[in-house]
Amino acid sequence: MTAAGVRGRIRLPPWISAKVLIGFAVAVLALWTAPLVLPLGDYTHNIIGLTFMFMAAALAWNWLGGFVGQISFGHSAMFGVGGFVAARLMLAFGLPTVLGWLAGGLVAGGYALLWGHPTLRLRGPYFSIATIGVGEATRLIATYWSDFTGGSSGLSLPLSGGPTKYQLYWYGLYLLVAAVVISYWLRRSRIGLALLAIKEDVEAAADVGVNPTRYQDFVLFLSGTMVGVCGGFYASYQAFIDPQDMFSFDRSISFILMAVIGGIGTVLGATGGAVVFVIIQEFLLANYSQLYLGLYGILLILIILFEPLGLAGLLLRLRKLTGYRPRADVGAGGPASTTADTETESVAATADRSPP
Amino acid sequence: MPEAFTLVISAVLLAGFYAAMAYGLGLIYGVLRIVNLAHGGIIMAAAYLTWQLFDRFGIDPYLAIPIAVVVFFLIGVGLYLGLVRFLPRGPAGAVQSLLLLFGVWLVIRNIVYLLFTGNDQAIQTSYATASASILGAHFSVTRILVFLVAALALVALHLLLTRTYLGKAIRAVAQNPDSCTLTGINVERVYAFTFGLGTALAGLAGVLASTLFAFNPSFGASELLKSFVIIVLGGLGSVLGIALGACVLAFAEVFSIYLVPPYLTTAVGFVLLVVVLVLRPGGLFGQKVLR
Repeated sequence: MTAAGVRGRIRLPPWISAKVLIGFAVAVLALWTAPLVLPLGDYTHNIIGLTFMFMAAALAWNWLGGFVGQISFGHSAMFGVGGFVAARLMLAFGLPTVLGWLAGGLVAGGYALLWGHPTLRLRGPYFSIATIGVGEATRLIATYWSDFTGGSSGLSLPLSGGPTKYQLYWYGLYLLVAAVVISYWLRRSRIGLALLAIKEDVEAAADVGVNPTRYQDFVLFLSGTMVGVCGGFYASYQAFIDPQDMFSFDRSISFILMAVIGGIGTVLGATGGAVVFVIIQEFLLANYSQLYLGLYGILLILIILFEPLGLAGLLLRLRKLTGYRPRADVGAGGPASTTADTETESVAATADRSPP
Repeated sequence: MPEAFTLVISAVLLAGFYAAMAYGLGLIYGVLRIVNLAHGGIIMAAAYLTWQLFDRFGIDPYLAIPIAVVVFFLIGVGLYLGLVRFLPRGPAGAVQSLLLLFGVWLVIRNIVYLLFTGNDQAIQTSYATASASILGAHFSVTRILVFLVAALALVALHLLLTRTYLGKAIRAVAQNPDSCTLTGINVERVYAFTFGLGTALAGLAGVLASTLFAFNPSFGASELLKSFVIIVLGGLGSVLGIALGACVLAFAEVFSIYLVPPYLTTAVGFVLLVVVLVLRPGGLFGQKVLR
């Protein structure tokens, strides 16, 4: 089936395999109908909707952090910009909710380019620390620019007109679907190969004709836009936003954690990480709120020390135990984008190939 | 020009503190190629240690320096042997070390929060409000003392790195760890010592910071950022490079009051970082190699 998708003449873009497509469609349909069929309580229903948004945000962070290998500690900046621009547009011009989110997202993407274009030429720790600066500077400006953000007293969104909190579940699902589709497209198309090349060695990538600046700018713009839209969704969900929450360092941390828990650079992993993150947040930490930072810290340390690929790595290990072996062409550094089974294997192969 | 003169002296005093603060980060990066993201957390923890020593046992912050240095040296060695040692070297390890040490930072913050709550703390010594006059302008004694201690520490460190066998070994490992194993240097031990030394310096900076600023468990984020700005400006090179980088940052921050509102001084450092990294990726002075 997969081989046919690659070598045969089926008219699907090469990054889509029929097997994955069918599985994805079934999953989306199940999630779409679940609230209509299953007796979910209001609380659970809403939390699942919010989880969709977090999944989308984690994936968006992962485009930059996982596919390009540029760890951003400043994604709260775009989350906040998206949320506040969307809220302001809805308040001032009565813009429909979804248009407001999109506008907020685009502004956030533009903002990401503004700081990202100069800083993305930095690699590794240099870029990461610069993003800490971006996040902190944006938070400071947002907190003191009270004409726009309402300062420390925040901003309330219009109550009527938009989708209700109950309906936001489906909007969250659409957001997630968009994020997953973009993720697979980024991972499996030619762009994915270019990004992998940049991640492995920028200079070598540039030598073979991959323009690192253009690709990285593009991914950052996409990532910033998606996180901005998520910020808009969050603003609608909460119906009240304040800069201390939207721009907080903890929010940047949460995107990193979701991706790291699930498995940096994977698609399914990052979504799974978001689920784990929300479960921890809602069910464990509601009772131990003073422990949450430390718990996240310990989780990070344990994952990095024992399973740097997170949940995806665990899954891979489990499959190896049951006799599964990744394809040889992946291990040999072959065209990783054409093996359309699960993407964990190509990531694992990347990790194995990295120098000791 | 009395005002400008006051500002210049303020900037120099501030630069001394900044240099001591940044050196620990620069040392660890220069030798291990790891950015110690827990740096800010260590500074914060050291400030709390100083505060406890002062509050419970009446130990003056400046007398607490040797205690803090020893304690944080041991903590640093412990961090290296317990965690950092297991990370892969090279580019693959860079991302992992960032995330790991970030986790350590979160844990430190949480421990401090559990022990001492999230309230702001400050150390009120008897001489906290005393001031001394330099050529007609008045400066707080605390800031002058901080400058002197920081300068002393930097000189001591410079001597350690340039005049002792151990310092030679550290510099050799920074240049080429593989050749060092051939010449019989225990590279792992040098790494552990360097990580301890860098952490001890962060501890020293924390003690000094506790006498200058109020602090709470989230203290340290902007200190980490500033330290990083300085090592980038200074080019991760010698003590001199770090001192120059600290001066550039301190002067930019102090004189920015003419241009931007005070709450944006953190952003000044960041803008400086971006501008320098874009114009001179190797830093303002010299290369990114610990010489």
